[in-house]
Amino acid sequence: MPGPTFFFSTLMGDEAKSIARGLQRRDPDLLDRLIEQYQYRLFRYLVYVTGSRERAEDFFQETWIRVLERGHQYDGKSKFEAWLFAIARHLVIDWQRSKKAQSLDTLTDPEQDHPLQLANENEPSPLHQVLRHETEENVQASLQKIPAIYREVLVLRFQEELQIDEMAGVLSVPISTVKSRLYRGLEVLRGALQGGVAS
Amino acid sequence: MNENIHERALQLIAQGRVEGIPEADRNWLRAHMEECEFCAEHARQTDSSLRLLRTAAIALPDGLASRTQFRVRLRAQELREREPKRRALWLACAVSWVFGVASAPYVWSLFQWLGQRTGVPKLVWEVGFGLWWSIPALFAVAVLLMESSRKGEQTDWINQGS
Repeated sequence: MPGPTFFFSTLMGDEAKSIARGLQRRDPDLLDRLIEQYQYRLFRYLVYVTGSRERAEDFFQETWIRVLERGHQYDGKSKFEAWLFAIARHLVIDWQRSKKAQSLDTLTDPEQDHPLQLANENEPSPLHQVLRHETEENVQASLQKIPAIYREVLVLRFQEELQIDEMAGVLSVPISTVKSRLYRGLEVLRGALQGGVAS
Repeated sequence: MNENIHERALQLIAQGRVEGIPEADRNWLRAHMEECEFCAEHARQTDSSLRLLRTAAIALPDGLASRTQFRVRLRAQELREREPKRRALWLACAVSWVFGVASAPYVWSLFQWLGQRTGVPKLVWEVGFGLWWSIPALFAVAVLLMESSRKGEQTDWINQGS
């Protein structure tokens, strides 16, 4: 007898297929619903990746325009959110490339001797801008210490709860790279938050 | 206690959070942490960090969804309006191509006859025939290039002000 996992994966597969069909038709009602449904997750991801609330807002809108235009490319075989995040990330990479003529990965991967963060160091931190609750001030200060490349994988894994293979698709990197970033990111997170919260 | 045992425990703590660990490893880790305060504290700190990350709230800008929905609807309308034009363009290209194929032997004869009448070298009227043949395709390419450059201009806003 099929278990609940099978039931839910079938249900999610059906949902993805129905989204794919709607995107093929450029169904405006479906797009409205998707924008509502994924607004928080996409915006949060973009804030973490771009390092700026204003920029995240621009990319948010541009991502949905791109979803409308390229909707026919989504086949419904993978999770919609993984495809959505991949589109958003590619937009950010294009912007980064036009700005710095370098890729997001080389810009942000400390293991490649390019310990540059996505966030502009001259601007106030995105987390300063976006985490408003006073009780979260310590957390906010601590999260700033995490390089963007690790923040990104941590967000995708532990906030968005994407599977590692889905993350590899979003990030266009091998699974082994995702894992190594996650392990390193977890270590950095623990150090940053435990140090930050304690202080 | 052996150093390697702690290393294994710390590795399993991380692995358990990132990709999961088998039952046997979980049991071993549980037993180890009952005896080792250092590793148990490490696991607690890791869990507490992940909890803090998961609960870190980000405030959504006011009206972000409705503004985006409006822009997306506008763009959808624009694409819908452009669709018949695009279809007409492709139809014109197809008709032109079919006509070109069907009339090629006659046009070839015409170019040959004109070439002989005017006395131009064979190569010249053959090139003329080639140009006549490729003009619809060149026209279609020009239109597509113009369209893509216009699209590029539309997305340029994202690069501005950054």
